[in-house]
Amino acid sequence: MTTSVIAPATHQPSTTAARKGAIDLRQVRKTYGDVVAVDQLDLSIQPGEFVTLLGPSGSGKTTTMMMVAGFEEHTSGSVMIDGVPVDSLPPRERNLGVVFQNYALFPHMSARENVEFALRMRKVPKAESRRRADDALDRVGLSGLGGRKPRQLSGGQQQRVALARALVFNPAALLLDEPMAALDKRLREHMQEEIKTLQKSLGISVLFVTHDQDEAMAMSDRIVVMKDGRIVQSGPPEEVYNHPVTDWVASFLGDTNLIPATVISRDGEEAVVDLAGLGTGRVRDRGAQGERYAVSIRPEHLKFRAGPDGENGGAGELTSSTNLGATIRHRITVGGHSLQLRELSSDAGASGHAVGSAVHVGWDADKAQLLVLEG
Amino acid sequence: MKRSRKTLQPGRQRKLLSLLSLPVFAFLVVPTLIVVPVALNNSRYITFPPGGVSLAAVQGFFADQAWTSALSASMQAAGIAVVLGTVFGASAALGLHGRKFPGQQAVVGLVLAPMIVPTVVLALAFYQFFISVGLVGSIIPIGLAHAVIATPYVYLTTRASLAGLNPALVRSAQSLGAGMLSVFRHVHLPVILPGLISGALFAFSVSIDETVMALFMQSPGATTLPVKMFTDIQFNLTPKIAVSSALLVTVATIGLLIQVVYVLKRRSTARMMPLAV
Ligand SMILES: Nc1ncnc2c1ncn2[C@@H]1O[C@H](COP(=O)(O)OP(=O)(O)OP(=O)(O)O)[C@@H](O)[C@H]1O
Ligand SMILES: [Mg+2]
Repeated sequence: MTTSVIAPATHQPSTTAARKGAIDLRQVRKTYGDVVAVDQLDLSIQPGEFVTLLGPSGSGKTTTMMMVAGFEEHTSGSVMIDGVPVDSLPPRERNLGVVFQNYALFPHMSARENVEFALRMRKVPKAESRRRADDALDRVGLSGLGGRKPRQLSGGQQQRVALARALVFNPAALLLDEPMAALDKRLREHMQEEIKTLQKSLGISVLFVTHDQDEAMAMSDRIVVMKDGRIVQSGPPEEVYNHPVTDWVASFLGDTNLIPATVISRDGEEAVVDLAGLGTGRVRDRGAQGERYAVSIRPEHLKFRAGPDGENGGAGELTSSTNLGATIRHRITVGGHSLQLRELSSDAGASGHAVGSAVHVGWDADKAQLLVLEG
Repeated sequence: MKRSRKTLQPGRQRKLLSLLSLPVFAFLVVPTLIVVPVALNNSRYITFPPGGVSLAAVQGFFADQAWTSALSASMQAAGIAVVLGTVFGASAALGLHGRKFPGQQAVVGLVLAPMIVPTVVLALAFYQFFISVGLVGSIIPIGLAHAVIATPYVYLTTRASLAGLNPALVRSAQSLGAGMLSVFRHVHLPVILPGLISGALFAFSVSIDETVMALFMQSPGATTLPVKMFTDIQFNLTPKIAVSSALLVTVATIGLLIQVVYVLKRRSTARMMPLAV
């Protein structure tokens, strides 16, 4: 096992020639009668990259994954694996490891037989397939449980079997459709780390589907946000989180403050905007075009200030403070806007503002993002 | 908890239910079982109540070539019906499972039709058909006709067991490299096996029991047990008829027991497995 570097999320071809697992979707479209499930989708996954499709229910995530796996035929466009079009290949010839939502383990087979299945289908000699299956079970931390039937295993163990089964035949890439949906929160977080570690150590490409933004943030090299069958934004987790292109993306990825803005000037990187009631200020810009604009500031990027200094901010009144355990959520009315400010509980003592008192708040220019207001 | 005076406790309710069911059960079963003592009678005629116990009639049955060849004809017809009926019924159930296409209900209706069309109509149709294609004078047409009426039973039992199939299993097998046959063997077969077995047993008993079509298409050497019984009852009333009835009852009971044992075994293995934490 080699510890390999995750390929950067650029669209240049990978330099490591031996590395496999590039997946390309070109203008892929899928309709069911009148329903457009996926529309004009362009997506490239680099070898070794962990890409997450994130979107609300019905946004076309599963459909996209099933078209890559070959279970759904696309209406138009093309799917390629390692540069070869696979549009006419049946699922069994695509050499992709798939983990289904409820694992879909064969109930009458033991864990080991489940893992051996793909090797059996490939006519691998019995002794070798047994050894490889045991290796795979080892790798997911299930050594010694190979003889158990799926119903004798806990949810987390079943998921590990499903992972071992999908990896044992050295697939070109791994496809996972909401694999953690059936697990409780703590186990889910544990499995997220395990899957991530396993993926890094194998250097395998992963296409991951979830509608849980925390999961997407925690695991991905790149997040592809989908809505109504289309890609709305794609990029590394921090970028999508801190620099959303629309208010919808901003809200989908977490809490945010949206302040209506009028653009005064912009150069594609930075913009000068007029924030009604909060004066003018400089904010980050990604050049997105729309009818109406707003500025998004995450609650954790809004800070208390000692006095009326700095250009991005203003004076207001603290209207409420709620202790959430690790963090405290403050609401501040400033310039006619009700803004949310979140600070660590451990930092709260220093500022020590009382509800109803006058406060100054502000933000760093590179933490405020100009975005398009939808709808 | 408040209990109205009129409702009974669950335990008592169950007792009352079994008390009421007992006569119904007896009414259904006892007449059938009467053939057993009659078959073991020591008289040369059919008498009830029996005078004494003897195996004479049973020995006589197996010594009589006309009766043994009827038994063998029945078994051959049933063999054909079981094999073909199971293949047809299971294929129909698998083929129609999880699909939606225009005219699907019509296809289902067609598969189930032999259950609904009166047997005598089917018998006449088969009789004319097999004469026109020149397939007469053997057990084969009877077996084929029985296969047709057995098919809906296998279809229904297989369809019922397919309802419990997780469709993701098919996809996961395919993604792991399984072709059509492997998917059938490793995904469908384990799921439909109980349905297949009970369907096959149904097919067997439908064929063993069927008289009208077998009567229409009978020929020397292709006279099934019920047909032989039917003709002998009219002209040659001997305890051998009771013996063959007892034989049919026994076969049917064994079939039922196989099913019961199979179901119980599956249940207990499912329960014995402890869930690991
Ligand atoms: N077999 C089908 N027939 C008709 N419409 C379908 C079919 N499968 C999916 N759709 C539609 O396509 C759209 C996308 O569905 P898809 O299952 O890909 O969504 P998803 O993003 O995976 O949602 P979820 O988070 O709920 O799993 C939905 O509007 C859905 O209703
Ligand atoms: Mg889905």
